Amino acid sequence: MTRLDSTSSLTSQSPTTFASSQAQGPLLSSEMMAKLERMELVTRKIFRGRMKGERRSKRKGQSVEFADFRNYVSGDDLRFIDWNLFARMDRLYLKLFLEEEDLHFYALVDDSLSMDFGTPSKFFVARQLAASLCYIGLCRGDRVSISTFGRSATPVVVRGKSTAHRMLGYLESAPCTEASPSMEETMRRFCLKNTGKGIVVVITDLMNKSGYETALKMLVAREMDIYLLHVLSPEELEPKLVGDLSLLDCEDRDRRDISVSASLLQRYEQTLNAFIEQARSFCNRRSITYVSVRSDQPIEPLINEYLRTRGLVR
Amino acid sequence: MNWINTLTPWQWLLLAAIPPAILSLYFLKLKRREMVVPSTLLWKRTIEDLHVNSIWQRLRNNLLLILQLLFMGLVILACLRPGWSGMNRVGERRIYIIDNSASMSATDQPPTRLDVAKAKVRELISDTSSDDVGMVIAFSDRADVRQGFTSDKRRLLDAVDSIQFTSHTTDAREALRAAAGLANPGRTSFEDNKDIQVADAVPATVYLVTDGAIGDLGEADYGQLKIEYLPVGAVDTPNLGIVGFALERNEERTEEIEAFARIVNTGKEHVDCTASLYLDDVLLDASAVSIDGGQETGIRFEIQGIERGKLKLELDHSDGLSIDNVAYAAIRPSRQIAVLLVTAGNTALQTGLKTTRVQQIASVVEQDPTFLNSPEYAAAVADSQYDLIIFDACSPSKMPASNTLFIGSLPPEDIQSNDAPSKWQFGEPVSPALILDVNRLSPITQYLEMASVSIVEARSITPPETGTILMTSDSGPVFAVAPRGPFQDAILGFDIVRPGPNGTEMNTDWGIKRSFPVFVYAAVENLGGGITQASAPSVRPGWPIHLTLSSRADTYEIVDPKGNRTTIDRGPDGRFIFTQTDTPGAYEVFAPGLEYPVELFCSNLFSSSESDLAIGTEIQTGAEMIAATDTTIRARQETWRWLLLLGLVLLMVEWVVFNKRVFI
Repeated sequence: MTRLDSTSSLTSQSPTTFASSQAQGPLLSSEMMAKLERMELVTRKIFRGRMKGERRSKRKGQSVEFADFRNYVSGDDLRFIDWNLFARMDRLYLKLFLEEEDLHFYALVDDSLSMDFGTPSKFFVARQLAASLCYIGLCRGDRVSISTFGRSATPVVVRGKSTAHRMLGYLESAPCTEASPSMEETMRRFCLKNTGKGIVVVITDLMNKSGYETALKMLVAREMDIYLLHVLSPEELEPKLVGDLSLLDCEDRDRRDISVSASLLQRYEQTLNAFIEQARSFCNRRSITYVSVRSDQPIEPLINEYLRTRGLVR
Repeated sequence: MNWINTLTPWQWLLLAAIPPAILSLYFLKLKRREMVVPSTLLWKRTIEDLHVNSIWQRLRNNLLLILQLLFMGLVILACLRPGWSGMNRVGERRIYIIDNSASMSATDQPPTRLDVAKAKVRELISDTSSDDVGMVIAFSDRADVRQGFTSDKRRLLDAVDSIQFTSHTTDAREALRAAAGLANPGRTSFEDNKDIQVADAVPATVYLVTDGAIGDLGEADYGQLKIEYLPVGAVDTPNLGIVGFALERNEERTEEIEAFARIVNTGKEHVDCTASLYLDDVLLDASAVSIDGGQETGIRFEIQGIERGKLKLELDHSDGLSIDNVAYAAIRPSRQIAVLLVTAGNTALQTGLKTTRVQQIASVVEQDPTFLNSPEYAAAVADSQYDLIIFDACSPSKMPASNTLFIGSLPPEDIQSNDAPSKWQFGEPVSPALILDVNRLSPITQYLEMASVSIVEARSITPPETGTILMTSDSGPVFAVAPRGPFQDAILGFDIVRPGPNGTEMNTDWGIKRSFPVFVYAAVENLGGGITQASAPSVRPGWPIHLTLSSRADTYEIVDPKGNRTTIDRGPDGRFIFTQTDTPGAYEVFAPGLEYPVELFCSNLFSSSESDLAIGTEIQTGAEMIAATDTTIRARQETWRWLLLLGLVLLMVEWVVFNKRVFI
């Protein structure tokens, strides 16, 4: 693929594309990582974790957070008897505390060929977002599972800040692949494999001709806290095309002949807005947080301000 | 709004083929630039409504195509030269007068002078602006308006191209009069003697393109005309031409004919050549011609024992003008006129018919009036055996089928009437009669001197409406001639002799006057339709000829030198007129049913001024001398056609480049 912007594409002899180059620097800079360390992932729900962590769990445990009282039964740990209450009511009650557990964080990154477009590419931005969120999770001791659509069968599951290099290595080495399964297939496989609850962040461009609705509905059924980061490149948002063109779909080689005119571009803009609005509406109705991301936006303000206002981090 | 066609049909076809060609190029050559996109999902949804793949949708969205078609539409519209009738100024008026006389076929300026003249006029027409109007007149000895005033250059050019040589002589006056008529419109007078100009005078420029052999144009006033004289031809072009060729029968030896020719050398050099005489295209005789520059000479041939035939005299000399190197003449067959004289005895008339001149042209049979009742007369009349029957003081019961001359007698009742204007009417005899007037226009009476003639008794004669009065006395017309179908009847209202108490006595002393045999000869010659001269008449090409033919036939057929046959009918005055004499050569006249020609005549140029190829440096119109304009005309060369063509080529190249994406 040749890197071409909208102007240079007009003078090219080879088929013109929106594809970007690969070398676009590290996913996370050290300054960025330092800022991320001060953040934490926010969930609107309290989930059961598997290991002791920094999150309150539905399970009763040994944290400092009081939960309830119950009658003492033989064999209970005497250390949890509320002696003050025994003095007042002359009956033995046991104090119960909430257990603090870890948070499960899942990041699913679309690695279909359509993501490899834009400057920087949508896939690079998607991986940056995934890395940022996973790093926040790792710093807070959450259980982080990260996978691309193509490699969803073998996700990388990491915990703790020391495993950040594994997570980054996985993301940096992930390519866009033609063999990427459909979004529906990916979600079905994900739901079968991950029975636990947690935060799921799906980063995709939703350019799926078979639709994204079924795939998202599967996640909704798992009662997870779902975030959809919809990444679109400027070339998709404001296409700068001229002349008679034969548009070739990079995934299914579908061909569409167009003669660009002002009215056609206007109609495309209407179609795009309807597409975005439809996705936003679909998500809102199903308590999925929809976040629209432009691939030419810098990652730092995106995490710091944009996702903070959307409630994913704080 | 009106339209002027500027293109020929095949040019229109070519132009009309371009828009379909652009359309087909659009469909055939449209190559779309391929572009890989992340997904066609949104584009698919976008174009589903627009149906951009439909053929007409492509057209609608292609601005380039629309611009090209618009460009072509404007080009076609421009070629139609749309305009409207408004108050716009009419440009200059130009009248192109082109000489196409015989001298314009000279080859001193190749290919011919006429071609050079036409090329000059074409340049002049191309030089005019779109407001200017022009007119094309060709002239020789007559003017021919080939194209009236128009601003359509194509029609003017077509008119110029259509001009061909003629063998005529030159006379520019008629052409200039036609041009002047447009520049100086006529005036009309009213009862109070006031002249009113009927239209505004229109100034015009006349371009007179000729070799200058037009002589003096006379005292004509060409008022608003500005005459530009454009001579064609090389200066001092030598030429040898025959300006006269005639035959004469020897008076003493009638079987001997002499041929005379007059040859002129208009060049400055002495010329020696041979003149060959051909009889029916077979060489008969030849003679050496030696002539100095600017001189003329005569040659003579003697021809013996030839009854009839076509003669051609040809100069074996190559010069600028070939048409005057050949001359034609024809030996006419001598034919005797059959004359029947019916008389009881008339010495003067009998003597008049026995003169040598009459005997040369006519054979006269004399009978007395009782012959009119014989079966021989009836048979002779039915066979048209006689060309002329002279009834002297007698009259048949019925008009014969031949020309007649009644002397002193009245014709039969069938052609008389008291009041009908189509019949003869006769008055009562008056005594005495004095001849007051003689018709000098008629060949029968043109040489008669009747002032001293005394007539005892004469009756007035009124011919039918179609008739001609030949002699008028103090009591009215006494001699007249009138046609009767193919025949002519002449009636003289008084006797020469008449029966008296002592035998015959003279009614007039005309019989002893000198004019009487002249009258008899003229009457026999003209009423008999005979041929009396060895040399056939000759006319200039294009001039009409009056033919005196036997009245036995109503129609004759004329074969011209090219072999074309033309039928001529008798005119209302009983004569035959033939006008199609454009081709120089010998013409033959055939009577119906006869294999040999009854008459011959020739068409020859015979013009010293046409043979003189010198170019006039100036022409005189009245008191004004018009000098020749520079013969090289600096005409503006039109380039818009080439620019238009270049534009079309550029349009095509742009289209090809656009589709091949060479620079995109």
